Amino acid sequence: MPATTRDERLATIKEIVCDILEIEEDEVTETSLFKEDHDADSLRAIEILAALEKEFGVVIDQAELPRMTNLQGVYAVVSESAGW
Amino acid sequence: MTATRLDAGAKAPDAEAGHRVVLTGLGVVSSIGLGADRFLEGLRAGRSGARPISVFDTEGFAHAQGCEVTEFEPERWIERLEPARLGRAAQFSAAAARMALADAGLDLDVLRDRRGMISIGTTDGESYDLDQLVEREVADGAGAFDGEAARRVPAARLSVVIAQELGLPDVEAVTVPTACAAGNYAIGYGFDAVRSGEAEFAFCGGADAMCRKTFTGFYRLGTIAPERCQPFDVDRKGILTGEGAGVLILERLESALERGATIYAEVLGYGLNCDAYHPVAPNQASVAECMRLAHENAGVKPEQVDLVSAHGTGTQANDVTETGAIREVFGETPPRTVSMKSMLGHSMGAASALGAIGCALALQNDFIPPTINHVTTDPECQVDCVPNEAVPAELRVVQNNGLAFGGNNAVVLLGRYDAAAEAAGAAPAWEA
Repeated sequence: MPATTRDERLATIKEIVCDILEIEEDEVTETSLFKEDHDADSLRAIEILAALEKEFGVVIDQAELPRMTNLQGVYAVVSESAGW
Repeated sequence: MTATRLDAGAKAPDAEAGHRVVLTGLGVVSSIGLGADRFLEGLRAGRSGARPISVFDTEGFAHAQGCEVTEFEPERWIERLEPARLGRAAQFSAAAARMALADAGLDLDVLRDRRGMISIGTTDGESYDLDQLVEREVADGAGAFDGEAARRVPAARLSVVIAQELGLPDVEAVTVPTACAAGNYAIGYGFDAVRSGEAEFAFCGGADAMCRKTFTGFYRLGTIAPERCQPFDVDRKGILTGEGAGVLILERLESALERGATIYAEVLGYGLNCDAYHPVAPNQASVAECMRLAHENAGVKPEQVDLVSAHGTGTQANDVTETGAIREVFGETPPRTVSMKSMLGHSMGAASALGAIGCALALQNDFIPPTINHVTTDPECQVDCVPNEAVPAELRVVQNNGLAFGGNNAVVLLGRYDAAAEAAGAAPAWEA
């Protein structure tokens, strides 16, 4: 069942991010930073990108990685690729 | 220790310095040619091994160029073993060992009475078979596994098959799994065994077969070039995955002279370290340190090195870091620094073995292989990479770099060997 509203999509993104960063969902907010606040590194970032591409059937340019620093940034990048 | 070795010169080995070690046989399975002769031709001509990948399904990838070995018929080289019972990498390994043996003109009956060493480096072992097994498992369940393919998988077989194929009973057979620098590790291990007297000969090198797993991993990291590999170029876009095997025969200088063998080069020494700094990012200080360790082990000063065969993958990170380290060690005017990966792609565990073979051929044939696909040198990679065309050069000392994920670095130094001059009492040609 594909997510359709912003909240639903954000929940899916959050789940993916938390799974990859191995953190609890209540630890992350829309603006908490993956690297500074949640110990992410460049390889985790690529893992997140790959999982998002698979989940939403989109292609995300790796040049967008610098914008994908928190959930808000990720949502913005994915929504551009997906045309939400 | 270093001084003792230098002082030993061309004389008989003393207990501390150990035996002088020379290269007398080369076996090559590469995307630019099979056998040392074809490989030499390819290096001279600046041939590219790049072509569309055919060994696995590339649907879904935006681009999928690679440097595959073509026209390889294992039964042409492998005599004792049944090729179907070997994985693709083991076929490469056994075939390259056969080629090296023939090239060296060694008599197997003599070798069988001597203690030897077989060390083969690899990144992926038989991951090509693993790819097929997993595909089968996903489609039809684990019960559908091909038992024969499963038996081919253990990476230890890459070295063991050489002992089996050649029927060598008294050898230590080791597979060194230090990834993209493994060929140099394997040469270093064989060098120590022959230098110390522990072994009288060594078959060393590396082998890997193209596989979907590794291609996908690098693709996902954003490090696969869409069309061609352009080391040190400002527009470089990454690696091309490749495959192949390189096997070098190392023996004592005395035994090579006794049997009148062709001596390609002398193995002067090697250095290796592991910094574990980052899973994939290379560390400049540690790469520089590895070169210094190699120089010390070989008794060579930086200014004696005439050519660096770089790891030179063509990624942003590698080329900047490696040339930075080279400048740290060699100063503002480093020796010419080429990347054979521009032609061969990244053949993983075989890469530094093929690089070392290229160095030996360069020393013996007085030329420097080019860095092909080169347009504009990156100002951040300030080296003379001998763009696009081979150049003539009389080389004395050549350095072969191998750098792997996890900060596994290994550097091998080869020197020119001039039999006639040494017989007339001259110092080793590489010291001149």
